[in-house]
Amino acid sequence: MEKLHFKYQATQPIDHPVHIGVVASGDLEVIMKPTDKTESELNIVTGSDGFKEVWQNVLTRFFARYPLLADFEINDFGATPGVVNLRLTQAMEALKDEQ
Amino acid sequence: MNSLWIFPGQGGQSASMLQGVDADLRTHVEDLLGLKLQDTDEAYQDSVQLQVGIELLQVAQIDAMFKAGLRPHLVAGHSLGVFAAAYALGSLQKDDLFRTVKRRAELMQGAYPSGYGMGVIVGLSRSEVEKLVARVHSTAHPVYASNQNAEDQTALSGELDAIAQVVALAKQNGAARALRLKVPVPSHSPLMTEVSTQLAAAMSAVELTKPNGIYLANYSGRAVRQVAPILEDLTANLKYPVYFEAMMGVARDYQPDSIVNFAPGQPFRKVLAQKFGDLHQINLNQMSVSDAAFLLNKWERGSY
Amino acid sequence: MSEERNWATHREAKARKLAAISSLLDGKIAQTKDAKTLLEGLIAPGDKVVLEGDNQKQASFLSKTLAAVDPEKINNLHMIMSSISRPEHLDIFEDGIASKMDFSFAGPQSTRVSQMIADGTLKVGDIHTYLELYARLYVDLIPNVVLVAADKVDHEGNLYTGNNTEETPVIVEAAAFHDGIVIVQANEIVDKVPRVDIPSDWVDVVIPADEPYQLEPLFTRDPQNINELQILMGMMAIRGIYEKHNVQSVNHGVGFNTAAIELLLPTYGEQLGLKGKIVPNWEVNPTPTLIPAIESGWVKSIHSFGGEVGMEKYIAARPDVFFVGPDGSMRSNRAFGQMAGQYALDMFVGSTLQIDQYGNSSTVTNGRLSGFGGAPNMGSNPTGRRHSTPAWQSLRPDNDPLGKGQKLVVQMVETFGSNKRPVFVDSLDAVKVREEAKLANVPIMIYSEDTTHIVTEEGIAYLYKTDSMAERQAAIEAIAGVTPVGLRSNPDTVKDLRARGIVAFPEDIGVNRNQATRSLLAAQNMEDLVKWSKGLYNPPAKFRSWS
Repeated sequence: MEKLHFKYQATQPIDHPVHIGVVASGDLEVIMKPTDKTESELNIVTGSDGFKEVWQNVLTRFFARYPLLADFEINDFGATPGVVNLRLTQAMEALKDEQ
Repeated sequence: MNSLWIFPGQGGQSASMLQGVDADLRTHVEDLLGLKLQDTDEAYQDSVQLQVGIELLQVAQIDAMFKAGLRPHLVAGHSLGVFAAAYALGSLQKDDLFRTVKRRAELMQGAYPSGYGMGVIVGLSRSEVEKLVARVHSTAHPVYASNQNAEDQTALSGELDAIAQVVALAKQNGAARALRLKVPVPSHSPLMTEVSTQLAAAMSAVELTKPNGIYLANYSGRAVRQVAPILEDLTANLKYPVYFEAMMGVARDYQPDSIVNFAPGQPFRKVLAQKFGDLHQINLNQMSVSDAAFLLNKWERGSY
Repeated sequence: MSEERNWATHREAKARKLAAISSLLDGKIAQTKDAKTLLEGLIAPGDKVVLEGDNQKQASFLSKTLAAVDPEKINNLHMIMSSISRPEHLDIFEDGIASKMDFSFAGPQSTRVSQMIADGTLKVGDIHTYLELYARLYVDLIPNVVLVAADKVDHEGNLYTGNNTEETPVIVEAAAFHDGIVIVQANEIVDKVPRVDIPSDWVDVVIPADEPYQLEPLFTRDPQNINELQILMGMMAIRGIYEKHNVQSVNHGVGFNTAAIELLLPTYGEQLGLKGKIVPNWEVNPTPTLIPAIESGWVKSIHSFGGEVGMEKYIAARPDVFFVGPDGSMRSNRAFGQMAGQYALDMFVGSTLQIDQYGNSSTVTNGRLSGFGGAPNMGSNPTGRRHSTPAWQSLRPDNDPLGKGQKLVVQMVETFGSNKRPVFVDSLDAVKVREEAKLANVPIMIYSEDTTHIVTEEGIAYLYKTDSMAERQAAIEAIAGVTPVGLRSNPDTVKDLRARGIVAFPEDIGVNRNQATRSLLAAQNMEDLVKWSKGLYNPPAKFRSWS
């Protein structure tokens, strides 16, 4: 079990919370909430230790493509980087579809 | 039944682990070796008590499995576990086993009284670990890449300071975990060459017979069916890494239908899951031999 | 004139060997207990021997018998095997019965094969695709003896190989017409075979086996194990490739990625209005995950390399779709299937374990030499092709007056494998394996130049549209996730590649990621497949969780 914390510059504020995914083996849940801050903050709890660099890479790539400004809470149970990216982009799409 | 039997080495021992061992067998071994087995945590600090104790436990479990009509098709011992593995295939006889194991423990105990040991790195490949080891290793401060227990899990063996340096380098270079292990001997490295030579001399009178199955050798990661490589493994595996990951890769090619993990401990969960997925497994650390026999027979009949 | 040459030495040698064992035969039929004596009498040291074993059907009785012969009598055989599948296929090398091997695929024995090559226990002639190996049986690897398996054999020696005919005909023909000896293991001796798959005059000796030949349900994928990434990739492929290129004929690899596509056609494909428009014609094994698409009218024809355990009754009841004999059972043929896969298909879709930064892919990883099988036949652009189809033509470059179309070769991979190791790498493990095993070539499954599309969970790279290696690399980087290759991707380049249609993300082709859930699959589990088949599909026990 490891707790990770990241901050990213972002330009697209969200106006309501969104929740995608579940904490099941090989999966994760992503919760995004609107924020007053000027950068996105991410708090991650992960079951797999030693993957901080991979998380950073996934997030850097995500924010370069989809600079969502929000508070992120992520609970991970050993998801692959592909699944992490899927859940993040699904949350992004869910916000867009509702707009 | 096409079963793979796995015998761990040191690490999983605990006080009272010999309680279920057949009393006659225990007395026989104690008389044979002139050694009273204490079966306490304190006694297991002693290499002879520990190694003989573990092998007694494994031989007792093997005998009970035989009595239930069960035999292995493939065997894999890890380090000390090779003796039980050779016994399970009928290649090594019981009394020879215990005499050899006692001698092995004595030789190891005397070899490096202090300043040497082992470590482990998780999350780097073996070639990455070997590069780090090469940066630290010297004749004065020897350290070697040792056992390969899973694809991303490589042990270190050598001088404690040198191990500490490799551990630090590994952390800087992205290892998920890197640490020293509580092992007082630089096992499975060239530092054990002298011990191996003496052990080979001690075993020169021991006669091995052709195994009734496939033996997976520590020192080469190969599947073997002949006496010579088994003898090499029993006497010399201490000076080579245990290529356990390769052993399990080969074992998979034999398509076993079940795995029996002998006691003590249960150290191979990760690599077994990687190699065999959800293949049926028995853990004798948690289950009696009669329950194990029941399950194995049930699986054999195919009623899941 | 010099002395007249004897032009029938092979024929005479064969006749002598058969005469020597004739007391053990009743016509062509032998007894099970004499199997070892027969092999010792009919095989000579150094012979070229084909032992039938492809990835599904194995002449397992004959391979066990061969492993038990006396190495003093039979040694140094040159084995020719399309698949090294069983432990005894390698034991014969350890025991000196054989010394050289020409093969195609070694998946189930890949660790041991690579060890034995490194140790010099097994000398490799070469590693082939299936078609190449079959072809060489008629050129420079003409067999002295072939050991094959049949389901039923009549008293004359006519063979019925049925659903699992696979490669038996191509092997037997090479021996039967060049004075090689054809030895057959039979599951059953019958008065009359359902149909004649191999005529008796091609057959020399038939040995009833002690148990039926080994048969693996290799192409059965339980829908329960298909994950959402695979569903998303399947949706992207259907939209961004099948629909876009108007694909009519296809081969699917063995993986869950393509199983997902098969189960998405009747749901997602239907929603897109593609039914009747794409993929009516298939060269593929009768994989159970195709049942929903067949039942809902998507599929016009399926020709198969081999059978699939449990599909026999279903196939027999759908002769409009499958290739079924007058007796009512399917006939497969691996050689014709590979030929069709190479020349007659619009598209191959497969998966792999590693792709390098240039787009070359391989299933060979450190310590495991798995060989090729048939994928390179399917997954390559046959430059000898002359007929045109809309999909093939859609890849034609528009700046070349003599230009022609190209086969679509699609690789579908998640950027990281289940072991969290990157699929996209700078250099393939195969490069190292080539050195260790001293192979002539790096064992590449599909070369970059043949790969037209790569699909990952991030998007599709349309590699055929790139006009330089640098652009090809950039397109791969754009969809390679956070692998070492993907991390080199530059956001501005990605924007440009997307604008030019060289890279597509799901939103670029109208694929909604939130639709990628398991409920989109036409079948959720094996029981659903049985229901779709109206009870005709009978899954093997290990795929049954009910009843």
